[in-house]
Amino acid sequence: MIRLRDVRKSYRQGAGEVLACAVHHLEVQQGEQVALVGRSGSGKTTLLHILAGILRPDAGEVEVVGQRLDRLGEAARDRHRGRHVGLVYQTFNLLQPFTALENVLLGALFGRGAGGDAKHRAEALLAQVGLGDRLHHRPSELSVGQVQRVAICRALVNDPELILMDEPLGNQDRATGGQVLDLLLRLAHDGGKTVVMVTHDPASAARMQRTVDLATLRGPGGAP
Amino acid sequence: MKLLSISLRNLRIRMVATVLTTTSIVVATALYAAILVMTHQTEQRYKGSIGGYQAVVGPKDASQLELVLNTIFNVGEAPGLFPLQVCSDLRSGRIASRRSQVRYAIPQARGDSVSRYNFPVIATIDEMFSLYEWQRAPLRFAAGGPFPWSYADLERFATALAAHENGVRAGEPAPPPRPLLVPEWKKAVVGARVARLLGLSLGGRITPVHGRMGEFGYHEHPEAECEVVGILAPTNSPLDTTIFLPMGLHYLISGHEGGSFVVPLPPGKNPDDVKHLPVEPMQLALTAVLVDPKDHFGARILRQEFASRDAQVAWPQDVVPKFLQQIGNAADALTVIAWLVLLVASVSITVAIYNTMNERRREIAIMRSLGARRLQILTIIVGEAALLSCFGAVLGVAACHAATFGLRNVVEDMTGVYLDWLQFSRWELWLVLGVTGIGALAGLLPAVKGSLTQVADNLAQNY
Repeated sequence: MIRLRDVRKSYRQGAGEVLACAVHHLEVQQGEQVALVGRSGSGKTTLLHILAGILRPDAGEVEVVGQRLDRLGEAARDRHRGRHVGLVYQTFNLLQPFTALENVLLGALFGRGAGGDAKHRAEALLAQVGLGDRLHHRPSELSVGQVQRVAICRALVNDPELILMDEPLGNQDRATGGQVLDLLLRLAHDGGKTVVMVTHDPASAARMQRTVDLATLRGPGGAP
Repeated sequence: MKLLSISLRNLRIRMVATVLTTTSIVVATALYAAILVMTHQTEQRYKGSIGGYQAVVGPKDASQLELVLNTIFNVGEAPGLFPLQVCSDLRSGRIASRRSQVRYAIPQARGDSVSRYNFPVIATIDEMFSLYEWQRAPLRFAAGGPFPWSYADLERFATALAAHENGVRAGEPAPPPRPLLVPEWKKAVVGARVARLLGLSLGGRITPVHGRMGEFGYHEHPEAECEVVGILAPTNSPLDTTIFLPMGLHYLISGHEGGSFVVPLPPGKNPDDVKHLPVEPMQLALTAVLVDPKDHFGARILRQEFASRDAQVAWPQDVVPKFLQQIGNAADALTVIAWLVLLVASVSITVAIYNTMNERRREIAIMRSLGARRLQILTIIVGEAALLSCFGAVLGVAACHAATFGLRNVVEDMTGVYLDWLQFSRWELWLVLGVTGIGALAGLLPAVKGSLTQVADNLAQNY
């Protein structure tokens, strides 16, 4: 499902360069649920963006859902992300002017398309997470937990093979966060989806099948 | 959900900016559409009202444009008077060769109006409804028919009126009687719009007003109240707003006595002496004669012969295109202004959307993270500009028609053209599409900026 080899990503800072992420080797199998941990600034989010195809590595091989992302152009990576990857962010990233249903449909629009049965799929997903009566509410009219569930539905609407989560529970109390994570993992498990979650929270990481510390991925001596 | 529905939503979110920017597009489009409506409909009406070799004969000292505009299009006042002799010569073949090159020569006298709409009153003869041609066919009646007043009636009337006038001028104690204003002469034929606006049907009554209602010196002629005997079919021309009366009625209306005859001022005499000089029947005063010289050859002869007469001949088919050219020049100047307004409006679209790009970076980054390609982001933003322009253009065209409705009477008074506010043309569709296209172009710059938004940076920004 995911295979990374000798991946590096640096950013320009003034005259020099800062190494943001380095991964010597990482493999994740289909259906696996992996927590990605590491200290702040270790490049967890950068790695997530590389897996999503938002960022292209400076070097190395990135294979996600059978596609070498490092060889694809930006538009092809966008298309790949829309169809095969679902993203859930700490800040949920819902668009405020759109209703819960429309936010989920936006995921479909930029993924497999908002035509056909997309609306029924979106409504069914929202109903499945207990938001069947909140379809036409805007994010500002929903609770934090409800917003998080809308974000999960948006990530799942294209039936992606891979779900990437960046600190998905960071803004919630442990109890609510735990419920939402349980929901997501259950849905992912039922659909046979692969999940990679970046987190600082050991309790959340413990719910996953495997935990990977980014520091260990740099290879012998800490560098690829 | 479609990309354009996102564009639409974005416009609704920024309602104030949308309304303000749309307003500028509305103004530009309405201005442009108004110019096109005016020029197109003016051209249509004016060109539709002339044809063949039809000519207008009028006083020598008037301008040809003045003569044509007044006689054919009812614009302004009659530019002067000339004697019936000219008409008589035209009819007898003494002008336009001796081979009877004139199909018709119909005398006219005008100066009165009817109702608050100031519908012009034209005194004429029955040939106006049997020989005169509008768009190469005689005038059709929607109801009734012409009044019975022939050229022979006019000649008899002129003779009787001149005899009476000469008796009065000579100070005879018992001058020949003035022709009586008999009820048979109090008949009128009205244009279609006159009938519609005044609610007239056959047998209805109208009272002419001297001059124009509301202007200094106007007064009603209750003695000349007429019965409507004919209503013309609509022509979508100035004929629709015209009222025709028999010529005898015109000369017998009180107040018209002084202007009934055109007497040349002999050398050494002052203008007051003219009132005491004897008059000839053929000096009866006309304001115009409508002439059809049959063919091109007759037209040429008419043109040559009138070069040395007291009256002049004007050719609508020569004068009107020049007039339209002048209107076109003025319209061109206004068009440049409309384009400038449209340019400013387009820049305001660019600025309005461009200024939102910073605050929308996160929104765009979210859409990109969901899989939106740069081209889709570009489409959404260009779509906003195009939608905004399209709304503005449609509203602008609607505003133009609303203004046409509100100003149609003023325009008709000024130009003789009745603007049909319900007349939609294909160019209006092109105008809406053009303005939409220009708006879309104006949205390109902010769209490019938006599509270049860095996804990772702007998603991370709010963490």
